Amino acid sequence: MSDTNPTPVPNPAPPATAPKPAAKPAALSRGDFLWAGWGMLAAFFAASAAAGARFMFPNVIYEPSQKFNAGQASGYDLGVSTKWLNEQRVWIVRTPSGFYAMWARCTHLGCTPNWWGDQNRFKCPCHGSNYTLGGDVIAGPAPMPLWRAKVELAPTGDLIVDKAVLENKPGKRELAPYFVDYASA
Amino acid sequence: MPTLDVEKIKKEVIDSQLWRSVFRGGAWKDTPRDRAGHIIGNVWLHLHPVKIRPRALKWAYTWGMGGISFALYLLLTLTGVALMFYYRPTIGLAYRDIKDLEFAVTLGVFLRNAHRWAAQAMVVAVIAHMVRVFLTGAYKKPREFNWAIGVLLLTLTLFLSFTGYLLPWDQLAIWAVTVGTNMAGATPVLGNEGPLGALMGMRINNDVRFTLLGGTMVGENTLLRFYVMHCVAVPLVVGILLILHFWRIRKDSFSAAPYVANEEKVDVWPHLVKREYIGAAGTTLLIMIWSILQNAPLEAIANPNVTTNPSKAPWYFVGLQELLVYFDPWIAGVVMPGLIIVGLVAIPYIDTNPKGVGYYAWKERPFANTLFMLGVVMWFALIFIGYALRGPNYAWYWPWESWYMLKAAPAATWSVFGPKGVGAYSMLLGIPLMGAVSAAWLFLPKLIEKELDGKKMMGAFLGLVAVLAAAGMAMGKMGATEGAFLLFFLGASFYYGFVLPQRHIRTLDWPRYLVTMVLVISTMSVLLKMCARLTFNIKYVLTIPSISMNF
Repeated sequence: MSDTNPTPVPNPAPPATAPKPAAKPAALSRGDFLWAGWGMLAAFFAASAAAGARFMFPNVIYEPSQKFNAGQASGYDLGVSTKWLNEQRVWIVRTPSGFYAMWARCTHLGCTPNWWGDQNRFKCPCHGSNYTLGGDVIAGPAPMPLWRAKVELAPTGDLIVDKAVLENKPGKRELAPYFVDYASA
Repeated sequence: MPTLDVEKIKKEVIDSQLWRSVFRGGAWKDTPRDRAGHIIGNVWLHLHPVKIRPRALKWAYTWGMGGISFALYLLLTLTGVALMFYYRPTIGLAYRDIKDLEFAVTLGVFLRNAHRWAAQAMVVAVIAHMVRVFLTGAYKKPREFNWAIGVLLLTLTLFLSFTGYLLPWDQLAIWAVTVGTNMAGATPVLGNEGPLGALMGMRINNDVRFTLLGGTMVGENTLLRFYVMHCVAVPLVVGILLILHFWRIRKDSFSAAPYVANEEKVDVWPHLVKREYIGAAGTTLLIMIWSILQNAPLEAIANPNVTTNPSKAPWYFVGLQELLVYFDPWIAGVVMPGLIIVGLVAIPYIDTNPKGVGYYAWKERPFANTLFMLGVVMWFALIFIGYALRGPNYAWYWPWESWYMLKAAPAATWSVFGPKGVGAYSMLLGIPLMGAVSAAWLFLPKLIEKELDGKKMMGAFLGLVAVLAAAGMAMGKMGATEGAFLLFFLGASFYYGFVLPQRHIRTLDWPRYLVTMVLVISTMSVLLKMCARLTFNIKYVLTIPSISMNF
């Protein structure tokens, strides 16, 4: 080991014309890198929020069947029958020419109206909507007529009601499959 | 005879290693330093400042309602956790568990009562707190944001009540939640029954109502969802917001009142802490007495097919229920509540009046106080109508009329611009007409640059309405009650919706003026729609059935 001072090296001032050490053009500047980073973080949070929202929509729900057997058609008198109201939330209405099944759900906010035979009206106990026998709104806040459910006459003479198939437009709701022709005896 | 030296025992206990290891600080000598140390050295108390202005201690100034709301929140947490030990959120068990709490669990009925009554008391306390803060102008700069947090807390308090009352699974529970979630289904665009909803592909099994319910009807999933929201999710959010709320009170200083000469601050310990304890203890005592005397309501077990007649929401939502009689669900159930929340949050940002901070100032803030109190009074008036004046079939029953008497069927309603009114395509006329009237109302008060004579205007307006009413009565189109309704509702809307804004806010800058007027006109629209229904039996002013858009 020599402890002599190393020969002083003159400060190598880079020659003005010397080519710069191959400075690679940065693929990504610092600023762009940060933007990309924050962007990815934001995307992550957005995707998480979307996934969380999607998580709240169940794929399989366990709810009762909307189809039921309302019994022998011949067992109904003319007018509104509340026989199935408590179990199936449906009024079976018999007219001189046949049957229709009305879903007992107020079209306003979903309460069950009551049938008042002496006034010939359905009246809702929640906000006071009034409907005619056919289901048309005559008073109160309900925006549209009551829904009628699909109803069929089985070969056994039973009425089969399906609340999953509904109609409330005048002109359509009076026809099959929302109406069963059944001549009065 | 040896005497019991209490002071000596106290000193020995406090100076013991055990005590000193639990509570920081040296021997208690009740010096200002001790009192400060007590606040700083205690994790529960250190959100307080050490000293406070004596003004902020006065019950007449604070009403103690913020503190009492928090005390009730703690009481609700305690009783709620206790109830959770005996309650299972499933359709088969929920109602039975509540019955067990009532009849088979020692103190079960007391705890349930306390939980229910404390919840209702909290709604009252939070509203009272808001009214007090408004009237003393305590939301003004730099406290705007804390007011916004307070509005959120009020909303969440109501949402906690709403999620809570599904849990007993009785008739009130299922029908209140059926109606509440169907309102969500009427949300514009996001709900299957809302305006533009069907157009945007919303169905009963993919809209916002479906997520709330976890199904297409109120069922097992709904009960579980509401249970989780009620017991965990919402209280957690409320807790976080409460910390923020308290921290901002501390940072923005407790009292905004103007300083008086030679005002000296006092120690928070004991002056403020004492009052907080008194408030909490008094509240607890009241709830306990009330819970011994009065049982919480429990109706028959939920029947998803048959509704009680009449079916009414808990009192604090009956005002909303009454509003739903007059407006379509998307307005009464979504837009109006949304506007109330947004409007409340907006108040500190549109109120530029620097006066009336920290004291009651009826003369200095005539417009703000009048309109705010009008809103509060209207809310409670609607509650009164829904609670006291509605009977079977939600028909109008005066208090002296028996509910056993079936009311005559109400007359058929009609819509002005709609198929049963002016005609099938009358919306083409109605939309521009409604737009023109709204625009005139919105802009006129500011465009008329000088102040009009309010008394003369009111006189002329009321005279005109009286003439119209008299003509209507003479033609037999209207009874005396309808005439009185017309005079009252139109007069009130004109006074609060035109005369007052013209006098007081026409000098506001345009953005603040417009926001204020939108809120004012929305409030008046409630009065006008009530008038239209009660006087002329009008259902909608304008209806576009093809996109479920009804006004």
